[in-house]
Amino acid sequence: MTGRMMSAVSRQRAAAGLALVLLAVAVIVFPVVFSSPVITNYAIYALIFIAVVTAWNMFSGFSGYISLGQAVFFGSGAYAVGIAARAWHITGVGVFALLPLAAAVGAVIAVPFGLVALRVRRHTFIVITIAVFFIFQLMAYNFAFTGGSVGVAAPFLPWSPTTFNDRFYYLTLGCAVVAVLVRRARFGLRLRAIRDDEDRARGLGVRTMRVKLAAFVLSATITGLVGGVWFLYLTQVQPPSGFDPLFDLSLVLMAFLGGLGTISGPIIGALIIEPGQLYLTIKYTNGYLSEILLGALFLAIVIFVPRGIVPTTGEWLRRLRTRGRPAVPPASQRAPAATGLRSEEPATSDEGRSRLKRRPEASGKKGRAGGTI
Amino acid sequence: MARQIYQAIVDGILVGGVYALMAVGLTLIFGVLDIINIAQGVLVILGAYLSYSLETRLGVDLFLGLLITIPAMFVIGVFIQWAFIRRLRGRERTSMTLLVTYAVALIIEGILYEIYGPNPKQLTASYVQSSVHVFGFYLSYIYLYGFVLAVVLVVAIYLLLYRTRLGRSVRATMQDETAARLIGIEVNRVAALTFGVGVAVTAAGGMLFGATNAFNPNSGYDLISRLLAIVILGGLGSIGGALAASVFMLTLESLVDIWSPEWAIVVFYAVLVLVLVIRPTGFFGRQPVRAQ
Amino acid sequence: MIGASLSLTGDFSADGQAFDRGYKLWASDVNAAGGLLGRQVQLKILNDNSSPTQAQTNYQTLFAADKVDLAFGPFSSLLTTPSASVAARYGYALVEGAGGAPTVFESPANMSAHNVFDVSLPIEDELIPFVNWVASLPPNERPKTAAYPMADDPFADPPVQLAQQRLQALGVKTVYSKIFPAENASYKPAADQVAATGAQAVLLGSTDVPTVAAFMQAFEQQHYNPKMFICAAGPDQGASFTSAVGAGNATGMMVPNGWYPGYPNPESQKMVNEYVAKYGGSPSDVNADVAEAYSVGQVMAQAVNGTKGTDNAKIITYLHSGVTLTTVQGPVRFDNFGKNSSAAAFTFQWQQNGTEFKQVLPVSAAGSVTIINPKPNWTS
Repeated sequence: MTGRMMSAVSRQRAAAGLALVLLAVAVIVFPVVFSSPVITNYAIYALIFIAVVTAWNMFSGFSGYISLGQAVFFGSGAYAVGIAARAWHITGVGVFALLPLAAAVGAVIAVPFGLVALRVRRHTFIVITIAVFFIFQLMAYNFAFTGGSVGVAAPFLPWSPTTFNDRFYYLTLGCAVVAVLVRRARFGLRLRAIRDDEDRARGLGVRTMRVKLAAFVLSATITGLVGGVWFLYLTQVQPPSGFDPLFDLSLVLMAFLGGLGTISGPIIGALIIEPGQLYLTIKYTNGYLSEILLGALFLAIVIFVPRGIVPTTGEWLRRLRTRGRPAVPPASQRAPAATGLRSEEPATSDEGRSRLKRRPEASGKKGRAGGTI
Repeated sequence: MARQIYQAIVDGILVGGVYALMAVGLTLIFGVLDIINIAQGVLVILGAYLSYSLETRLGVDLFLGLLITIPAMFVIGVFIQWAFIRRLRGRERTSMTLLVTYAVALIIEGILYEIYGPNPKQLTASYVQSSVHVFGFYLSYIYLYGFVLAVVLVVAIYLLLYRTRLGRSVRATMQDETAARLIGIEVNRVAALTFGVGVAVTAAGGMLFGATNAFNPNSGYDLISRLLAIVILGGLGSIGGALAASVFMLTLESLVDIWSPEWAIVVFYAVLVLVLVIRPTGFFGRQPVRAQ
Repeated sequence: MIGASLSLTGDFSADGQAFDRGYKLWASDVNAAGGLLGRQVQLKILNDNSSPTQAQTNYQTLFAADKVDLAFGPFSSLLTTPSASVAARYGYALVEGAGGAPTVFESPANMSAHNVFDVSLPIEDELIPFVNWVASLPPNERPKTAAYPMADDPFADPPVQLAQQRLQALGVKTVYSKIFPAENASYKPAADQVAATGAQAVLLGSTDVPTVAAFMQAFEQQHYNPKMFICAAGPDQGASFTSAVGAGNATGMMVPNGWYPGYPNPESQKMVNEYVAKYGGSPSDVNADVAEAYSVGQVMAQAVNGTKGTDNAKIITYLHSGVTLTTVQGPVRFDNFGKNSSAAAFTFQWQQNGTEFKQVLPVSAAGSVTIINPKPNWTS
């Protein structure tokens, strides 16, 4: 019995490993096969978002604290590279050496930001991230060293279009890979504990503040780095583009579409939405139809695929596999429907079950007795 | 200098009234229903456009037109809640409301662009331009009327929440939904009605905003961030808090404006962060019993 | 085939759409006259939603996928810089009419590839005719005090700041000079502050109609009427402006520009008539953006004819060769940076109860009518 199970498991592992290798090869060879700069352009933006959404998910997806302030790090990273290049008179390929600076800036900003913001509860957290976001955007407008409304321009790299795009493709691919690898680190369990029930987690000995802060800073570092890369690609940053309010909303949507809390989810979400948005605007270029369509698409996503593509497909696959066998549905799937006021149904996690014991949330007392926040 | 300060304070209070009208609806929706309604900004603009059409096509006075636009927006609000938000459930519900309302905002904005085009419009009336001379200051009528209207609506909603059965149901569900259902409250209906009320008030806010600013479908985005800040500062679900926070923030901003308009808005958000760090539930919010 | 990215939706949509009409009007005129080098012009315009990311993607699509022969620029200095980088990389000349801020010309891409050509008036000098006019008045008729509110925008600030320097040198006292954020809520407090100073002249660094409308409304509510009121932009948007502020109130408002509907240039008149025929309204309703866009087309056409082909490298050299071209906005001659050094700055004023948009400065220029001074009081 054990022997059979073992070989079944190792077969699965081998299959997964092979798929991963194939994927890696495909991704690396991509620009060679699809050499048109138009396609690599889409790929670059997709990769940028993959990296940033993965970074966002690193913190928000797991902890349940929705941050709408990632643009703070993104823009700061962009500006850091631009201002440094200008101040230290760096032109040409040397600008790429400034990228670690972008990452560092993201981290440095995240520490005080996190210390302030992570002390409050979830609703307030969201609004604090929005407030800090606007503070940064406005500072970018007001300070002289950020160039005010004019922003900062990147040194011109006189490469041919294909070369330019290809090089940025590999650069952003690297960022995305780094993001995914970091994401697989060990935070998952502790963060999920915090999401499920923060007070209890703290009672059980999880150092909530430290864990939250660490995840937050890490996510900020990666976002800052990608911001720097984006700046070099677009060759300019200005307050409304470096600190773009819709940027954060798009992140949430992508993570959502793919599946919060999963690793591949954000990747799929970003892959679908970013190129999709760019392409739709080109296709329906006249009138406002593209905007209406986009809105309708988002609505459809949230309503019909509420847990995200990855978990939902996982569900379907599992259901296919266990067809016919008497499966005991997990207790969490039997919760009653809610009205949209305060539903407490715990979502199933596709990445294995949380090992913390989950108390039934029947009485709905998840901190709402006070009413606000 | 003193004159400038008085002018700034007066400005702040009056404009605060306009913002209060827009914020009251949001605090109801956010505080009671736990819905982060990003579409509130666009809904304000929608209210403004409705008033605009009534005025330009049918010649209806702005304030009288509210008798039509408020019920209309109420219906729209109920529809949005019933069609899209009601079916959201699960742990990630709050972020889902964020996305859904964002999607709804996009759709409404696109439709407004299609109907009205991108050129900015403004609501006009005799009392928009003219002002009354008081103590050496000019107070324009529209702002005065707007402030009075804000107070009236705030009182009306307060009465609704605390003196009617519907209000009691709303407050009960806000405290504990399951218990409310157990005692027979139809939470579905309450949710829809509350959302409707929240959006209906926005019609008035929209009219005021449209009379005091040139607007186009894109104007909603500037608004929503400020409204969110005001609502959190005032305390989620607190109607009086929304009014107080609006007046406070706008007056503060107005005062800082004397020294530097650029930094005035930063102050707006910085104060929010500061207050939240000290008192996470805002001015009049209530303390949560447990973590969320 | 000519490609362009325009802001048909988003923040700049009002101007983007006006540009769209201008480009299309030019294209149909050229095709009616036989096309360019014997070939019909095909315009491919993509919407960039006022976003630099989209603009950059659009140009890459136009260059690499659609393989357009030539490129027209987007609207606004904010979008022109990243578009110019893309164009520089692909070797295209970018002829545009709405990216006149210094940063566009000083951008690394342009410094390296010199491929940006702005057919319109460089913005810094816009208010000089106004300053010169004030200087020409006898000292007791000049304004004693002036206020300089400016929106935070690279288009709005440089001209007002330059004018402030010059007017201060003339002895006009600055009673207000601040930059305010370019969003709705910031207009009224700033405007009220200006009204409280009672300045005799107001030079408003605005970029659009809502800013001007807000200031005018606040001034009216405060019963404050400056003797001279000139704005960097807004009053030049034709019907968009008068319908927002009320025709009566528009009278006396001044704005600098390189063009106006009544410009006595035969090509311009023809364009205006065609526009009115196609889109309705009266000549005064025509938005200055339309003329800018039309001029872009004309410059490109002359470059193509001048080089007898669509080779972008040759076009770039040709345009930098010091040749003077003609457009509905007047003569165009590019300097080393791509700025139009022949552009003449005019100042315009709404007269006749907001129905006539007239050139008033420079006083000696052909076509100038008497300036209305002081500005009449608000009518409501």
